[in-house]
Formats: sequence, C-alpha cells, structure tokens
Amino acid sequence: MTTSSKAKTDSEWEPRIVAFCCNWCSYAGADLAGTSRIQYPPNARIIRVNCTGRIDTEFILSALDQGADGVLVSGCHPGDCHYTSGNLKLRARWAVMAEAVKQAGIDPRRIRLQWASASEAQIFADGVTKLIEQVKEVGPIGRSWV
Amino acid sequence: MADPVPVAMGQGSSCWGCFQSLVDIHLRLAEVLPAIEIKYWQAVADFKLHHLESYEDKSIVVGFFEGMARTEEDIHLLKLMREKCQILIAFGSCSCFGGIPGLANFSDIEECYDVKFRNNKTVEGGEVPSENLPGIASVVKPNSDFVDIDIYLPGCPPTPDLIYTAVSALLSGQPIDLPPHTVCHYCDREKKDTPIEEVLRPYQGIADPDRCLLEQGYICVGSSTWGLCEGQCVNMGSTCRGCFGPPPPITQDHGAASISMLGSYAPMEPEKIVEEVKDPLGTFWRFDYPTSHLGRMRIKREEAKEK
Repeated sequence: MTTSSKAKTDSEWEPRIVAFCCNWCSYAGADLAGTSRIQYPPNARIIRVNCTGRIDTEFILSALDQGADGVLVSGCHPGDCHYTSGNLKLRARWAVMAEAVKQAGIDPRRIRLQWASASEAQIFADGVTKLIEQVKEVGPIGRSWV
Repeated sequence: MADPVPVAMGQGSSCWGCFQSLVDIHLRLAEVLPAIEIKYWQAVADFKLHHLESYEDKSIVVGFFEGMARTEEDIHLLKLMREKCQILIAFGSCSCFGGIPGLANFSDIEECYDVKFRNNKTVEGGEVPSENLPGIASVVKPNSDFVDIDIYLPGCPPTPDLIYTAVSALLSGQPIDLPPHTVCHYCDREKKDTPIEEVLRPYQGIADPDRCLLEQGYICVGSSTWGLCEGQCVNMGSTCRGCFGPPPPITQDHGAASISMLGSYAPMEPEKIVEEVKDPLGTFWRFDYPTSHLGRMRIKREEAKEK
C-alpha cells in the first residue's frame, strides 16, 4: 500500500481509511447513509464487526502498520450497546491506546472514535468526512517511511 | 555416552543475565556440561571471535544468542552465529523481541547520545566516542530482521527450569514441547469477574494476597503473557509485567493485547483511565516494543530518516 501511495503525487493522493463499524448501530447507520443518498467521500473501507467490544487494539495498530492512512471506529452510543457494555470496553481501550499512539510519535489525527446510531446516517457521514479532512492535513502515512 | 554436542553462545547488547540464568540450573549442570562442547562463549571460554569465524559453516549444532543487536559488532556476531550454527536459538526476551534495550526506540539515536554522552549528568564536556568502538545502529531492530531464528526462548531471563527442559530436549534430539498457557494459568489467586473501579499503581494500597491483582486494580498483564515462568511473580505478590512476551504464536502484538484486556476489565470513563494509567507505551510494550506494530512503525520512520 505504501509503495502505491508513494508513486502518486500529493495532489492525486487520496487517503485510505479503514472503518470498523458495529453491526447494530454504525453499520446500519452507514447503510442508511447510502439509502438516504447522503454524499460522503468514498475513502473509507468499512469492516463490519458484531460489536465494537470485539475490536482488539491490535486491529487498529495493525491497520496503521500495514499502511492505512487513518482508522475510524464507529459504534453505538455509550449505554446503547446491543451487548450492554461492549462499547464501554472499547472506549477504555481506545483512551489508553490513543495515549500510546501519541507517545509512539504517530499523529493522533489519524485515528477517530465516534458514536453513531442506526438512525444517525448524517453523523456517520460527517464523521467519515471529518476523519478524511484530518488525515489529509497529516498526509500519507508512508511519506515519512519510504 | 554420546559424543558431546558442539554449542556456541553469542552475546549481543544485553545485561548477560540470560546466561547467568543458564548457570543457575545448578547441580543439573553436572548433567548438561558433559553433554556439550563449548566452541564459543565470550564470558566463559577463551575463544576469540576469529576462532568462531574460522569454524566451518554449520559445524556447530546449537547456537544460543542472547541480547539484541545494537552495535555493528553485535550484528556481525549474530550473522556469524547463523552461518556457523545448525540451530539458532533466540535466548531471552531481548533476543526474541528487543527487550528492555528495545525501549531505546522511544527516542531517536541523537536523543540517546544526548542523555548517554553529551549531557550525561556525571560527565563534563562529554562527547560521543568514536575511536576503537564498533558503530551503533541508529535504531534497534529485532534479531529476526537480520537472520532466521529457529527457536524462541523468551524470558527476562528464561527460568532455569525452562532452560533445562529446552536444553535437555535439544541434546537428546527431541522436539521442544512448551505449554502455550498464559501466566494466569499458573496463578493461584482467586478471580471473581468484577470490573475495576480504579487503576492503582503498585505503591498504592495493600493488595489482598488471595485475589487476582488485576481485579484489585493493579495492572497485571499476566493474561496476555506466555506463562513459561509458571507464574513466579504473581504468586509472590508482584504483578506480571509481561517479560515472556505474547503466548504462541509469539508474533502477536503483546502490548495491544494487554490494552484490550485492560479495557475489558476496566470499562471506565476515558479521562479517568488515561489519568490513572501512566505511560501506556512503557507499561504495555516494556519487553517487546521493536516487534510490535507501533515499534515497527517507529523503525520504518527512523530508517527513512537515514536515507
């Protein structure tokens, strides 16, 4: 991935985002964004997980290590988890991981955690747009490596 | 008795504690020593590097490499060990994952020089030595990036029992069969599945000797750590810091797994957990930063700087 983004000039470069969405809220929200014809950038590759509580910190770090320019995690609002507390577990993980990411010298603008319910298609689309804007400010992740 | 097996012990940048632990097998040395013929071991036998260089390739059956490869000499020795040995064992956590010396990757080489040489508190007018010393690599890379490793024996240090089990299996030509359990498997403390209300640092409060330390709020990474130590620390009242690295397959990201585990135990408010967990990078990646995802990204960045 890094080689292909290197070959392009900055004006041609489009960020590649990995988006983890929980099945019950954000994936349905993303679906609704599509059926409602809400416009948002096509850079995010959505991976559906049953619950954000299933997201191991390693998924996020591994995505960055393999050349994803940004990672989005989108789940149910705290308190609304289909499995009662999965998103709270992710929220705690995320807080610690985000600190570690900063310490390791990776720009924290590359990662974003958001809550979007099944009816909040606009919030989901806005979140993706926001992350892509942030990542565009930082530039390709491979730039500093290769 | 069969002919003694030729072995070589290579020492990179490390504290040399892993070979100390090898000597700690005590009376069982009487069994092991006659079965081996030491062909190279800087600290113990009077062989020089040129002796090792003069052996035929693959003429040594087992090679143990301790420590990571920070200086050019270490890298040379590591590659040489690979050439001369049929089986190369990464001995200890530094050799497997980068270990404590791998924490140097938190800073770049210039920052390391500043602390160690230029602005060293006990030295005046310090400068980076350049004469009669091997060059220093700009970043700590795991040994497995330089050579293929056949067997990983982690631990800081590997316990004498583990060493004895592994060495006696090797010498008798048996496969080394290590149990894949984590530290929790060996921990005698009681678990009650209660979420953590507060994360404590080791000096805070007095821990209940019979209950799971993590459930009491002390960060113990035993559940994501390979339990080859058989739970020595946790059973003695100290939290597990993860010196054996991740359980098999040991290519997992140990620190990431530990954070995931902590999040499941402590679903607290983000501001509170950030306040209470000090230095996440140093806590969760203490022994395996260079082989982790964050560490890999750091290595790529430092290498890019060089170009």
